[in-house]
Amino acid sequence: MTPGRDLVGHLARFAEALRERGVRAGLSDEIDAVAALTLVDISDREEVRRALRIALKIRPRDAGAFDELFERLWGSRDEERAARNRPPKDRRGPARPGKVLPAALSGQEVERESVTGDTPGYSPEALLRRKPFDECSPADLAAMERLISKLALRLATRRSRRLVPTRGRGRVDPRRSFRAAVATDGEFLRLARRARAIELPRIVVLCDTSGSMDPHSRFLLAFLLSLRKEARGTELFAFNTSLVRLTPWVSSGRIAPTLERLAAGVPDWSGGTRIGESLARFVIDYMDEMVNRRTTVVIFSDGLDRGDVAALEGAMRAIRSRAGRVLWLNPLLGDPRYEPTARGMAIALPFVDVFAPAHNLESLEKLLPLLAA
Amino acid sequence: MKEEIRSTQEALERHGYIAEPSIATAVFLAREMRKPLLIEGDAGVGKTEIAKVLARLLDTELIRLQCYEGLDVQTALYEWDYPRQMLRVRMGEQEGQSPSEIEQVIYSRGSLLERPLLRAITRREGPPVLLIDEVDRADDGFEAFLLEVLSDFQITIPELGTLRAEHVPYVVLTSNRSREIGDALRRRCLYLYIEHPSLEKEVRIIRTRVPAASERLSEQIGRFLHALRGRRLLKAPGVAETIDWAQALVRLHREGLDLETVEQTLGCVLKDHNDLRDVAGAELAALVEQAQGAGAAAGG
Repeated sequence: MTPGRDLVGHLARFAEALRERGVRAGLSDEIDAVAALTLVDISDREEVRRALRIALKIRPRDAGAFDELFERLWGSRDEERAARNRPPKDRRGPARPGKVLPAALSGQEVERESVTGDTPGYSPEALLRRKPFDECSPADLAAMERLISKLALRLATRRSRRLVPTRGRGRVDPRRSFRAAVATDGEFLRLARRARAIELPRIVVLCDTSGSMDPHSRFLLAFLLSLRKEARGTELFAFNTSLVRLTPWVSSGRIAPTLERLAAGVPDWSGGTRIGESLARFVIDYMDEMVNRRTTVVIFSDGLDRGDVAALEGAMRAIRSRAGRVLWLNPLLGDPRYEPTARGMAIALPFVDVFAPAHNLESLEKLLPLLAA
Repeated sequence: MKEEIRSTQEALERHGYIAEPSIATAVFLAREMRKPLLIEGDAGVGKTEIAKVLARLLDTELIRLQCYEGLDVQTALYEWDYPRQMLRVRMGEQEGQSPSEIEQVIYSRGSLLERPLLRAITRREGPPVLLIDEVDRADDGFEAFLLEVLSDFQITIPELGTLRAEHVPYVVLTSNRSREIGDALRRRCLYLYIEHPSLEKEVRIIRTRVPAASERLSEQIGRFLHALRGRRLLKAPGVAETIDWAQALVRLHREGLDLETVEQTLGCVLKDHNDLRDVAGAELAALVEQAQGAGAAAGG
């Protein structure tokens, strides 16, 4: 039996709506879904829902969006709707396209505020490295970018458990040795060997983009984007009053256009930070998949929290119990007079391995050995 | 509900697996569409068990590939039997065979050690169930390799040529979500996320798996775990823990829960030091009281 054209069209619209909500559902998933619908009882709405969840590969973190769209778009009869409980609310919060990032992320503001007298781009490296982020002009950014990519090369150091062929020393690889020996009439002239592969570091970065962090955000993000060029597995999140995963917006291309894209695509937040709630959201939706014992979790924030302190403590405990290392980078720490007395900071500190400043490139440079896998 | 799905559900239940409609639907669709089924969920919700039950249900062999970091093709697919090859080479030399004759002997199926994936593809007696357990533990590179095997069900051995599947196996992959499974692999599969069971289902699981547990005890255990999972825990107990605990309580000849017993045996359920410390005292007493209930039957 082939499904009616109507069903296929309906499904295509449904998949389109899912994609608009940031749920990955590709053409092959749609094909699976059509095939699945021919096998189930399509007059049973719950069965259709179950089959679509299975065939469209809906992950738990997308389940809220899926249920909501299913309710809205998959023609329902009222009595059925009344019989069922309301689906859980979308946990990620609706995406609001078309909004802009805080001024510091989009760049224009920084340009206007720039007060440096140096010729941008020609600053000696040493000077550039110590320049606080809030005094940098966007032109310094290009120079920093080059410097950062040099630094980031030092990142990949950890050896994987996987064995790859090597010309140097390592474990004997009988298969390749034997293969070579056949060519020489069964004599083993040279033993082929394998050694442990070099692995890329795993890094998850959670970056505070609230008002109190504004001057730093753009440069931190630029640093993180350069980092991602070298450590492709790096996951980026921004948080403020809610949490947004930036990774989908980030491509491996140039940094300036990516920042523009971020500014255009990420919802705007204003007002205070809710570190606790944002980190708790991260723990629920993403931590299982993104954090393991090899992962370094980096949190950029000044710790000025206006949210729930208990949530912050719970989230930090959960992250600490799972991650290989937890780094908290605080731009205020660059000021010698600063003491971490902010309420959120004091709560988070016991769960942090490294508490370091992040106010200029020199301080970030010191971080690199800590980020290496 | 479609008749075939209902009968799948009943068949699963006959073989000792209490399946929700979503699980039965997924198993049914995976069988009908001949697609691998990727199952995710917290530890102990019964992911691996689905593959085992499926093998019993289809009355076929279960071939298991346990994934781990550093798992390579030699362990997953095949390996040449090197000592045997060496022996053959020496023998061939003594008998004066030509190098090409020797090569033909040493690179034959007889010198090949079958590993789970190859075994699953070359099984002659009918399609087996191939369980690829904890696929999230293997490296990304292995995942890419798996993709190739799962899309074509054929394996190319350079020395031998391409081996095509005699019967396409039923494939079940499980993941604990310690790493995000790549999109490409996910697309090849159907996807099932298993939640912790509902109260009613959990009680039925206890009754099925631990028949010696009294009805009252089963219901109390179910209610206790249900309430326990409702609070913030670092490691939420799975069904596996429930069954362990029920068995422990049966061994202790308990007919119901009381605070002292729960305190002594809570280690069967909570396996994290912080959780054990947090769930204690008045809170534990409240949970036990809630579990004892007012003699009400365990509702759905």
